[in-house]
Amino acid sequence: MTSMSRWLDVEVGTDDIDLNTLPSNLALVDLQNDKDYKLLVADFGKGEEGPKLKVFKGTMQTSDILLPELPLGIVGFYTSEAIPRSMPIIAVAFSSAVYLYRNMKFFYKYLLPSVDLSVHEMDVWKQLINSENQTPEMITILQENLKAIPPKILSLQSQNFLALTLDQQLEYLEQAAELPMWKPPEITCISTLKMNSIDQYSVSCLVVGTEDGYIIILDPQTFTTLSQAKLCPMKKTPYRMITTGLYNVDYRITVASREKSVCLLKRESTEGRILFNTEEHIISIEVITADESIIVICTDNTMSCYTKKGKKQWCVNLEHRPISMTLVPVLHLGVTLVGVALTSGHVHFYEGKARLDTLFVRDVASVMRFGRLGQEEHVLIVVTGSGNLMLKILKRTADFNSSAAGVEPAPSAAAGHKPWLIPKKSKLFLEQSARERENAVPMHEAFQLELNRLRLLATRTLLDAHAKSENFMGVGAMEPIGLTAEVEGLGPVFRVTLFVENKSKERAVAGLAVLFHAHTAHYRVTNPYIKVPLISPGGKLKFPTKIEEVFEENINPDVFFRPVTGQAGDRALVKVLLLKEDRKRPVLAATVQMPPTDPMMLPFEKIQSGYQNNAVDWEIERKN
Amino acid sequence: MGLLDKLSTWLGKGRMEVTVLVLGLDNSGKSTMLNTLRPPEQRAQHLMPTVAQNHDSFQSGGVSFTAWDVSGAPRHRALWERHYRRAHAVIFVVDSADHLRLVVAREELELMLAHPDMCGRRIPLLVFANKCDAPHALAPMQIAAVLGLERITDKPWHVCASIALSGAGLADGVAWLARQIRDAHLPKS
Ligand SMILES: Nc1nc2c(ncn2[C@@H]2O[C@H](COP(=O)(O)OP(=O)(O)OP(=O)(O)O)[C@@H](O)[C@H]2O)c(=O)[nH]1
Ligand SMILES: [Mg+2]
Repeated sequence: MTSMSRWLDVEVGTDDIDLNTLPSNLALVDLQNDKDYKLLVADFGKGEEGPKLKVFKGTMQTSDILLPELPLGIVGFYTSEAIPRSMPIIAVAFSSAVYLYRNMKFFYKYLLPSVDLSVHEMDVWKQLINSENQTPEMITILQENLKAIPPKILSLQSQNFLALTLDQQLEYLEQAAELPMWKPPEITCISTLKMNSIDQYSVSCLVVGTEDGYIIILDPQTFTTLSQAKLCPMKKTPYRMITTGLYNVDYRITVASREKSVCLLKRESTEGRILFNTEEHIISIEVITADESIIVICTDNTMSCYTKKGKKQWCVNLEHRPISMTLVPVLHLGVTLVGVALTSGHVHFYEGKARLDTLFVRDVASVMRFGRLGQEEHVLIVVTGSGNLMLKILKRTADFNSSAAGVEPAPSAAAGHKPWLIPKKSKLFLEQSARERENAVPMHEAFQLELNRLRLLATRTLLDAHAKSENFMGVGAMEPIGLTAEVEGLGPVFRVTLFVENKSKERAVAGLAVLFHAHTAHYRVTNPYIKVPLISPGGKLKFPTKIEEVFEENINPDVFFRPVTGQAGDRALVKVLLLKEDRKRPVLAATVQMPPTDPMMLPFEKIQSGYQNNAVDWEIERKN
Repeated sequence: MGLLDKLSTWLGKGRMEVTVLVLGLDNSGKSTMLNTLRPPEQRAQHLMPTVAQNHDSFQSGGVSFTAWDVSGAPRHRALWERHYRRAHAVIFVVDSADHLRLVVAREELELMLAHPDMCGRRIPLLVFANKCDAPHALAPMQIAAVLGLERITDKPWHVCASIALSGAGLADGVAWLARQIRDAHLPKS
């Protein structure tokens, strides 16, 4: 079974690593700008030991710093795009502040803006601090007023006051009663959002979710509020949020709240809305980048997928309670899996509803993250319930086409068949269809009349354009003709699409032809001569052709290693000539730079034969 | 006297042409090693990660080593097998301080040894436990254990600590390789 596994186990010394943390307290950051990604864990500590920020290089803890409070989220991001690249900034969120670290040194503390108290609460306090009202009877009445205010928006001072006995309340008021100034805000979650570009080193802004249901976006340089929005008209507490898109272009913040609902906040809105509600509490949420569909795991042992509009697509019942979830993007295979860890100690990997792989980690994977660690791109990081760190590396040769050991084949497709979606017949539809039945003949006649008119107009315009086209061509000015080419494919066969465009407003062109001119030793063009039909004014025609790069029998091995993104050199030029009937010279010419063939796409037989022919040379010879 | 001159005098007068494949994960120090093996005046100042592959040849006395330095980037590792057929020896470079990817190095080594063009051929395998100067570098014997070298039965193998940047250890390793090739191909006299 192990030989079938798609994962390599990394040995981690378990003795001194004892982690006690939450999924949001893990980050993978290129801390020293040396492309050696470090694992950062904001650890709660245990017993005597206080909270710490621990840095792991590969499997080894290299440093740690003390944290002032219990951390509730950690992110790494860049605040400048200057070259040489500045160090990434680490932000650690605590209950009411975000601490920012550069080079693992604390440099800035961001405090949440205070929240104004409700007018009502203020009124009560104004009366309370008035010494005339400091009698048991009055206090009882005023206290009732305070209790009428929903406790969620009540200041800490009022909450404490309500908890006191009547005597204590009197004493408190006599001593130091002041108007409550502000309610200490609380952060619940933290994330980042890229500003202008999706490049991994591009500048991001911090996104902070608060206990009062606000989402605050901070400026990356000044750490002042860029924008602030309420999550939802009703009070919802954000719990985990996923940002997608770019701040300056368009973005979506998908937020799982503690109140069994997922809310969505879009760019330039001051208030978000509920996208969907779940039946039970949400444990974790992820957003698949490709189609922005939302995956949630809930305490009712389900994993469900919703479209970005909030429509439920499918739901899978899990065998045990899910604990954590991570996206597993495998770019070279073009799949994004969702890894779900269960209380049974299994981690299942799903693509959509289909389970493709299973890992047994023996312990509950309380925190799970897949990403780049050290020099390796595909590392699954697992922190188990007992505090161990586990690292697993996805094999380079792993593919997810056939099911691995431990995964039973997916249930037959028939079970999931859905009936056709046919909309209900509306009143409007019924009336319209009745009208159509009654007036079928006049409608048909009217339609035919209009159609014939349209045809007449089209023919006239065409004739007009054709008549003008001849003398236009006689003049010889060809600027209104555009010729562009597009090359697609990895090679050796490329698809080259030519676009011939007539930019003139009233004249058509006729009698054109396209000729490809390439060195036959380098390229083979499937259709080197194409006759172009008449192009109407403003018309654009598309001519796809296949061009194949030709290799000699014994290919020079260096050919395989031309940089794929670069140019293939001078031999890669293909000329495209636009010819006109009765003219000796081409009217337009363009050159197309063909990209080099991807080394992985080269004809393998030729290389093999190439080596075999040379095999004699490779034998060890003893010449003397 | 350069390292390879010494080697060739040691090997005797016979002229030998040997193709060595230099494999290993990206960033393990393959190109650095070959650069250090060059005569000082031909060394490159700055090395970039190899994009596809380079070859270096050393002509000295009677021996000519043609070393193929193949990129170890994950995307290019699939190309290694194209060189297997022509290899007379393999140098496998391991970054002994990159504990995380030792399992990946082991996996790639196993894939290489199991390839039809390699399996059963008695070609020497030299493993450089490179970067032994780096902090937390593992000892060569530990590298051998992690890579599972003791399970290789069809090839002579040798593991040796090296610092590709300074050249320490390279001479010993290459000398072992030369001895293996000589033993295998010189008629016993
Ligand atoms: N400390 C130390 N660093 C080394 C040693 N050998 C190589 N390096 C460093 O490791 C880095 C990578 O070396 P390269 O020779 O480019 O690695 P490579 O194996 O050719 O990598 P690819 O071409 O990407 O496959 C360079 O920055 C070297 O300076 C060594 O012995 N000790
Ligand atoms: Mg290299």
